[in-house]
Amino acid sequence: MRASAVSGIIFANSRDEAMERMTGIRSMASVPFGGRYRIIDFCLSNLVNAGITNVGVITKSNYRSLMDHIGSGAFWDLDRKRGGVHILPPFNISGARRYHGYVEALYGAMDFLNRCNSDYIVLCDGCVVANVDISAVVDFHIKKNADITVVYRSGVKVQNVKNMMTVKIDGGDRLVSVGFPDSIEADDLASLGILVFGRELLIELVNNAYENGGRNIDVDIIADRVGDLKICGYAHNGFSAVMTDMKAYTEANMRLLEKNVREDLFNPKRRIMTKNRDDMPTRYGTKADVKNSFIADGCVIDGTVSDSVLSRGVTVKKGAQVKNSIIMQDCVIGENAVVTDVICDKKVYVSNNTVLKGTSDRAIYVEKNQKL
Amino acid sequence: MIRKKCVAMLLAGGQGSRLGVLTAKIAKPAVPYGGKYRIIDFPLSNCINSGIDTVGILTQYKPLELNDYVGSGKAWDLDRLSGGVHILPPYQGQKGGDWYKGTANAIYQNLGFIERYDPEYVLILSGDHIYKMDYSKMINQHIETGAACTIAVLEVSKEEASRFGIMNTNPDGSIYEFEEKPANPKSNLASMGIYVFSWDKLKKYLIADEADPNSSNDFGKNIIPDMLAQGEKLIVYRFGDYWKDVGTVDSLWEANLDLLNPKIDLNLADPNWRIYSRVGAFPPQYVSDKAKVENSLITDGCEVYGDLDYSILFENVTVEEGATVEYSLVMPGAVIKKGAKVRYSIIAENAVIGENAVVGVLPETVSPEQFGISVVGDNLTVGKNAQIGPKNVITENVEEGAKI
Repeated sequence: MRASAVSGIIFANSRDEAMERMTGIRSMASVPFGGRYRIIDFCLSNLVNAGITNVGVITKSNYRSLMDHIGSGAFWDLDRKRGGVHILPPFNISGARRYHGYVEALYGAMDFLNRCNSDYIVLCDGCVVANVDISAVVDFHIKKNADITVVYRSGVKVQNVKNMMTVKIDGGDRLVSVGFPDSIEADDLASLGILVFGRELLIELVNNAYENGGRNIDVDIIADRVGDLKICGYAHNGFSAVMTDMKAYTEANMRLLEKNVREDLFNPKRRIMTKNRDDMPTRYGTKADVKNSFIADGCVIDGTVSDSVLSRGVTVKKGAQVKNSIIMQDCVIGENAVVTDVICDKKVYVSNNTVLKGTSDRAIYVEKNQKL
Repeated sequence: MIRKKCVAMLLAGGQGSRLGVLTAKIAKPAVPYGGKYRIIDFPLSNCINSGIDTVGILTQYKPLELNDYVGSGKAWDLDRLSGGVHILPPYQGQKGGDWYKGTANAIYQNLGFIERYDPEYVLILSGDHIYKMDYSKMINQHIETGAACTIAVLEVSKEEASRFGIMNTNPDGSIYEFEEKPANPKSNLASMGIYVFSWDKLKKYLIADEADPNSSNDFGKNIIPDMLAQGEKLIVYRFGDYWKDVGTVDSLWEANLDLLNPKIDLNLADPNWRIYSRVGAFPPQYVSDKAKVENSLITDGCEVYGDLDYSILFENVTVEEGATVEYSLVMPGAVIKKGAKVRYSIIAENAVIGENAVVGVLPETVSPEQFGISVVGDNLTVGKNAQIGPKNVITENVEEGAKI
């Protein structure tokens, strides 16, 4: 395939409302995840690992942290002379509205679609954590001579998935129907928010849907055209997580404590890349007691940490206990503090002797920069 | 070409033969250090932090890995439109070519590179040391004193002094004599191998040195003594912070474990003086509920199921259940299998220590003469139940159950 045959588009403000407290200051795609990542790292890496070097990132609001994270794209090898990564802000073309659905979002990105000179476009929801072999998906799309390919999550029960499109696929990998929250059936399959289109077809479908007042790809393009387009389903068998709410976010982080999940998500053949901060390695002190935890570089641990995910630069002081928690970049857990079932956003300072206890069902969320 | 005030020339061509198997395939500056660094990260990071953005790296011995590591210089922010980092290997000219005969000759062969930037000062560095230093302070002193050459020195003990090049100075810091490894040192100021030259002087002495067929074309042996003989103003620059030569297995091991010593002031976490490195895209480290980790440094990609004390795990190392690693360095990609014991050792890149194998000993279990750090070379396998005693350097695979 020629170098620019496939381009990617990532929706950065995907389901922001599902995690309002965390997305109040950032887009969904720039929500920190898994110690050293942001959610968009998985989308970007999946595309780059498939040899895709032209990527548009559609944003709507709160995209300062996203732009800061992506920078020139160099950390994903996307600082390209041709192509590379392009932030596509709202109000991009005259008359474009601040979008409400992906149809409007794509309509606003029509310049990118018209100019990118690719045969195929891969659309990625920026709320998905998975290591997906996109080149296999594109090969499948071509081999099946499909108009649209939908990647679905094999083995994921639909009742666990809120607000994601569900599909029925027949024996020939053909999509036969699309389910919606009020009409989901038990054998429906959950979409992974990754779609492949021929570029020209995508432009035509978006223009038509937009003119007819359509907003959503699932309702206004896929469900609408099941009968007359060849829409196929590609099964992703590996680990996947969709950030449908805070609980899903917490669970997805905790799944990283499972060896098989780490092996699948961080497959050495398809590395997940991220912005590097040049932290020194994590230091474990004489009194450190760490069990079953996933820890990024730059931490200093003198206390007890168990069943937790620690981002870069976290300090856990003497006598502190961290359990079942997600502690983000540069937090400090003071001496003898107890932190159980808590999500600390970036730069939270938990003072000495403070006790913070959530429940395994409902974690306490502490906003960025709070001092407790 | 935009003019640069100062160009740095980093001597990275040495074999580092005293590191033995650790430099069998790579140049010494490419030897891993401190979990996620290589030795060359220190001079390169010091350069960029000191405001020097033009660096020539002189390579000669086994340069592949070093070239690959330095790449475009992006990791150190040294990918510049003007200046940046340049790898300078020996080359062929119209009248033939030559290997770098000595440190001075290496610079001489690259006079053309320096001339392109028309600098006022040239900073000469080596890729053998672990230290954080603000070169701009040294350059400022050089300018203020009007010296032809400024040499960074470190105070060492009288006993150590006979291992170094020693600067004998007047009270104002000017050098009247240079002695290489003197038996009876007159001073305790050891040269750190870091020089600032005024470019016109350096050029003049390099050309004169090259014309002398009896010269060994070395800064310490020839250029500095020549300049002193001609009455040039040479002045010391005193440096008082952490500095360590990592030329031997023992000193490399020590310099690494210094990072775990709270009494030693080598802070790699200072946001105002970052030590940059080029790292792979590895996930965070995982420490399991079977593991016990104390006094250690661990970095991205590691999976720890065993026990660690006073050790450093480099990128992508696995320590399996029941294994113990004490007072050791485990370099990138190495695997310590179930029940294996690694003590006072350096396990080089991608080596595999088999189940229940033992590498190295605790110092209290042998006599002081017998004790020493053991090294297992890169990509080697130590078989199950094999036993490797102290002070061993393993350069070939070790069979199951073997005793060495």
